[in-house]
Amino acid sequence: MAPRFLAAAAVLALAAGLTACGSSSTESPTDSTAPAATALTVWIMRDSMSDALLGTFERDFEAAHQGVTLDVQIQEWDGIGQKVTSALASNDAPDVIEVGNTQVAEYAASGGVKDLTDKVTELQGADWLPGLADPGKIDGKQFGIPWYAANRVVIYNKALFEKAGVTTPPATRDEWIDVTTKLNADGNQGIYLPGQNWYTLAGFIWDEGGDLALNEGGMWKGGLDSPQALAGIDFYKQLQALGEGPKDSDEANPPQADVFAKGNVAQLISSPGGAVAIEKANPDLAGKLGFFPIPGKTADKPGAVFTGGSDLIIPEASKNPDLAYEVIKALAGEKFQTAMATEMSYVPNRVSLGGVLTSEGAAAMAKGAANGHATPNSANWAAVEAKNVIKEYMTTYLTGTDGAAEAAKASQVIADILNTKS
Amino acid sequence: MIRRLPITLAALSVLVVSVFPVYWMVVTAFKPTRDIQADTPQFLPLHPTLDHFATAIGSEGFALFWRNSLLVSLGAVLLSLVVALLAAFAVARMRWRGRKAFILMVFIAQMAPWEALLIPMFIIARDTGMLDKLSMLTLIYFMSTLPFTIVTLRGFLAAIPEELEEAAQMDGASRSAAFRKVVLPLLAPGLMSTSLFGFITAWNEFAFANALIIKNQDDRTLPVWLSSFSNVFGTDWGATMAAATLFMLPVLLIFLILQRRVTSGIIAGAVKG
Amino acid sequence: MVTQAPERPVAAAAPPPPRRRRGLPALWPYLLVIPTVAGTAYLLFYPLIRSVIISFQHFRTGELIRGGAAFVGLENYHEALGSAEFWAVVRRTLVWTGVNVVLIMVISTLVALMVARLGKRLRLAVLAGLVLTWATPVLAATTIFQWLFQSKLGVVNWLLTTIGFSRFDGYTWFANGTATFAIMVLLVVWQSVPFAALTLYAGLTTIPQELFEAARIDGATGWQVFRDVTFPMLRPLFGLITSLEIIWVFKCFAQIWAISQGGPDGATTTLPVYAYQVAQSLHKYDLGSAISTLTVLILLVVLVPHLRRMYKHEGADK
Repeated sequence: MAPRFLAAAAVLALAAGLTACGSSSTESPTDSTAPAATALTVWIMRDSMSDALLGTFERDFEAAHQGVTLDVQIQEWDGIGQKVTSALASNDAPDVIEVGNTQVAEYAASGGVKDLTDKVTELQGADWLPGLADPGKIDGKQFGIPWYAANRVVIYNKALFEKAGVTTPPATRDEWIDVTTKLNADGNQGIYLPGQNWYTLAGFIWDEGGDLALNEGGMWKGGLDSPQALAGIDFYKQLQALGEGPKDSDEANPPQADVFAKGNVAQLISSPGGAVAIEKANPDLAGKLGFFPIPGKTADKPGAVFTGGSDLIIPEASKNPDLAYEVIKALAGEKFQTAMATEMSYVPNRVSLGGVLTSEGAAAMAKGAANGHATPNSANWAAVEAKNVIKEYMTTYLTGTDGAAEAAKASQVIADILNTKS
Repeated sequence: MIRRLPITLAALSVLVVSVFPVYWMVVTAFKPTRDIQADTPQFLPLHPTLDHFATAIGSEGFALFWRNSLLVSLGAVLLSLVVALLAAFAVARMRWRGRKAFILMVFIAQMAPWEALLIPMFIIARDTGMLDKLSMLTLIYFMSTLPFTIVTLRGFLAAIPEELEEAAQMDGASRSAAFRKVVLPLLAPGLMSTSLFGFITAWNEFAFANALIIKNQDDRTLPVWLSSFSNVFGTDWGATMAAATLFMLPVLLIFLILQRRVTSGIIAGAVKG
Repeated sequence: MVTQAPERPVAAAAPPPPRRRRGLPALWPYLLVIPTVAGTAYLLFYPLIRSVIISFQHFRTGELIRGGAAFVGLENYHEALGSAEFWAVVRRTLVWTGVNVVLIMVISTLVALMVARLGKRLRLAVLAGLVLTWATPVLAATTIFQWLFQSKLGVVNWLLTTIGFSRFDGYTWFANGTATFAIMVLLVVWQSVPFAALTLYAGLTTIPQELFEAARIDGATGWQVFRDVTFPMLRPLFGLITSLEIIWVFKCFAQIWAISQGGPDGATTTLPVYAYQVAQSLHKYDLGSAISTLTVLILLVVLVPHLRRMYKHEGADK
């Protein structure tokens, strides 16, 4: 009978399909019943640490903890919110996750993150950078452990500065525009500033005395349409035009370090760690890069900057929370922090370790850090970022005609998102 | 001849519009970076190079993700072909109470908003221990190609005259032998084009692969890799196009080898679809 | 092998003539569809029901992780239906579907009629080109289109500049809502025409030549032949393709998400994209589910006429 023949084929195919797929899951290293080796999974964001740094850490940690293997997985920024949420909601989550300091509040509020309040003293929490510790804390409980901070500086091509006859880096906005205009000639770009670098825009807005959003008696109000914010984006537009940065994309697409590495870009706004990527892409530029803090409105105060950085969290669904804590303790400890500050020019998580920052880039960053700011303190802020509200506003402002109307529209969207109850 | 000119021109422009994007992808992948960035585009790869393919293949885990995608897609296609063939046979060759409702169900199943099922599917997978498993992806892809496969195969089956089978049975063949020897060969082009469609659908899928494979990064599939590729290689359009070409490779191969059969198969089956 | 143009007229979406099979147990058809029904029930309808349940709950990140979601009645539907954005998205989705489906149907009809009149070699070349396009995976196609329309090195800007439109020098297509929308339409039409054109061409080959000849002897123009002979003969096929294209274009998600994620400024946000944004980017799974449920309902309403016709055409069960 035909049907019997077909049914047999179906069963065969079913079995073949399932075993073919099943085979790969037996290889997976999640087998926690085996007493000998415990595998810990650690999620690190792309480009946040150099391979060498992570490799050394992995070896040291495995040597210090018999029977433990570390699986460090590099995560992409695109769609990371969905990915981390899925991980927190799963039964077998990664053991340690790096999360951006603007996003940690949302995860902490979700209830899927382990409360580490009782470890704060051991980790010398009193000494932590507030810009990292505060977003990781909800109702007095510490969920996110500060890892590193960084803020943006201007990286410049010393050879192009020399050629244009610029001897001292600009210290005020006016000087900055003058210098950049001078540099933006002979086929060179004065500055490469993509249209959607919203952290830089935030700095300009803070300089003017505005903010991205304001909390007025418990209700949020978008701040992009205030006169101060409009002055901020006006300056951004002026600066952005002095180069060929694409108006419809951010600093990751294309990676701005690669653009700078071609050698015809005079300035770039990035954390000092960006210099590592530039030199990797074009070794000829090694030693020819200079740094200065983003200029402010007057020479006595550097430009406002966003204090960016990362916290570390342990998901509730981690199978090995105790060992996971050991990983965090090592990553947040003095040894790793010192090595990281030297290699990546990041600000260590503890104020008292700041002395290890001696490079030119780190010095410029430290100057700028004095005027550091944070994004609006709301668990919903991550949603504003995820929906690209500010980025799309910037593109429409830079390419369109009625900027004020666009600003009002974007402000309304921000207010709507922040006022949503979760 | 002159009278044929307009239609020949129209045919050529259709040909160019349909083929050029794919051609441009392949050509870009073979051009050295300085030719890609030339002010005037070069429509032929004058200095062909395999550098971009080396970059793409050399990137971490490429072979593994390729294998995963192949396993998942083939598994889903096989499963869906067999299950659909059974159902298509029942619909095209038999009459039974509930047949109409069944056809309606299959048609409506094509409307399923798959992206909206991400969260329920995640919860179901989690609660049944199927998270981080390629077999879960296989089942989902099987389901998302099944309705179309049934509809198409049913069309193919209906186009094969029942008399052929009956004649074979009269000659003493059993029903299954008649099916195997008479119907299956006639069905071959249909099976081929239908499985190509199912294969492409499964091969493409990103959202579920991204959401359901969480911790076992070695179980990621090619689309997830392709999406991270732009983060890693950015402006390197040569490498990106090489990656896209490699992504399309199985389809290109099937197309080149079976081009005429697939074409006629699609045309034959389409009528009844 | 095989250019078996099916012998039966196309209208035969109708069932085969009733014929008693010798000794065929009445149970067989049910056994044959069990795998399909079981698979659909567990892998489609069950998650669909879970999704509908979520749409009546307060279900955010916390509930996803901890469980214990509370029912809130129609609150999510009130929120969705009460927001101006939702209705803007609905309008955009209808425009999106209308523009695409009309373009797809018109172009593929023209292509099908053209292919039927071509010589053998050119016909095969065009058919092969169409199949190649049809077989291009969505992700590859989106990557290619981003490259074609790239602002600095894209070949489209070069072409437009070369033929005299100098304002397209370095034009940023994906910064402008209308331009992005147009590119998305172009991409979807490019991908969809092959299936429709191939199917229509196959249908054309089944129309007896005598009908055309008779019409031409009567002195009918090309348009009259199409109106009086071709279209009526292929009406069921047109109906089927149109409804399939409506479903596919309406549901179209991967292309839009990969290229513009619904932007810039929401210009390409259609219902499926909107639902995904709300659920996955804003983590409002409850509201996202409500929007998805409404999406399916709207699609059903659009297709009710076709579904009714289809149900009638299938004839009786027994």
